[in-house]
Amino acid sequence: MFRETAFTDIQCDSALDDAAAGFMMDEDTFRAFYDRTARGLWAYLARLTGDRQLVEDLLQETFYRFLRAAATYDNETHRRNSLYRIATNLARDVRRRSMARAASVPVGDDIERVPSRQGAGATERMADFNRAMSRLKPRERAMLWLAYAEGASHREIADVLGLRPTSLKPLLFRARRKLAELLGRAPRGGKP
Amino acid sequence: MKPIDCELESEVLAAVLQNRWPDRVDASLREHVAACAICADVLAIAGAIDDAREELRARAVVPDSGRVWWLAQMRARREAAQAAGRPITAAQVIAFACAMSLLGACFGATSAWFQSALRQTASSLAGLRFQALLPFAVAFVSEHGAVLLGMAAILLVVPAAVYLTMLRE
Repeated sequence: MFRETAFTDIQCDSALDDAAAGFMMDEDTFRAFYDRTARGLWAYLARLTGDRQLVEDLLQETFYRFLRAAATYDNETHRRNSLYRIATNLARDVRRRSMARAASVPVGDDIERVPSRQGAGATERMADFNRAMSRLKPRERAMLWLAYAEGASHREIADVLGLRPTSLKPLLFRARRKLAELLGRAPRGGKP
Repeated sequence: MKPIDCELESEVLAAVLQNRWPDRVDASLREHVAACAICADVLAIAGAIDDAREELRARAVVPDSGRVWWLAQMRARREAAQAAGRPITAAQVIAFACAMSLLGACFGATSAWFQSALRQTASSLAGLRFQALLPFAVAFVSEHGAVLLGMAAILLVVPAAVYLTMLRE
């Protein structure tokens, strides 16, 4: 005997079809895009949050929101910027929530505690770098990472971080100066 | 005004990222970096950030793209089903209320017992003198004011709580 089809079934089925079609790209395009961007995004989120478990959750959430976004992209760069913007906002929300929960509870740093594969010297250098980065503001960390690890242009960084392109240059300059000092390079013409 | 960027910054960055610094770059670029605070900062941080990037990317454990796609699809379907279910639930509540009203009206129209009880209540209410009830009501409120206030609060708070819970869901 055939199962009777009720009005609610039809309504639900069409909603499910809409959901599947609601993604902004098909599976093959998504998988290719994911393979190109996931590792870089993981590293970016790891640098912003420092918590492995959180990074995995945020990675999944970022790609989900990206897929559900009703947006059209001109090119790969535009698409990638949008992905990083979503990730930045999610990481910022998590930070705000954790700050609201308890001002003394920091976002984890278990990624930084994992030993490097490149020997003791590299591990030490990495630890110094991590210490220096942790003393920067989250926005400064994001800015420097996008500029020097991802090779993003000033306009792209401003777009991802929701800043005006004109205000980015001085902010980037200050962040770079601060990190260089923390890494042990004395300011030129100033105090040692 | 102090300069905040340098036109050779990108050249220094490229030299560091391509492992050309310091041996495989022009002497003029080395001289420039020695004199330029901005390029010296870029030199100091670019190598460290690039090393950290390589290290983190090597450590990255990203789920398979097929799994991410599948999970996203499942979640989209679940959300779509919830969204589709919401108006159905509202319609069901309205339909239930209408059916109960209709049932009540039919019962009232056909039951002789209900009609006689209704008539009796109406006639006793017509003979009631509200002025005589006023002192009793005042005494009741002053004696059980806190209880009445609590009941009124529950009547207001419970529906509001239910509404807010449903809204969050």
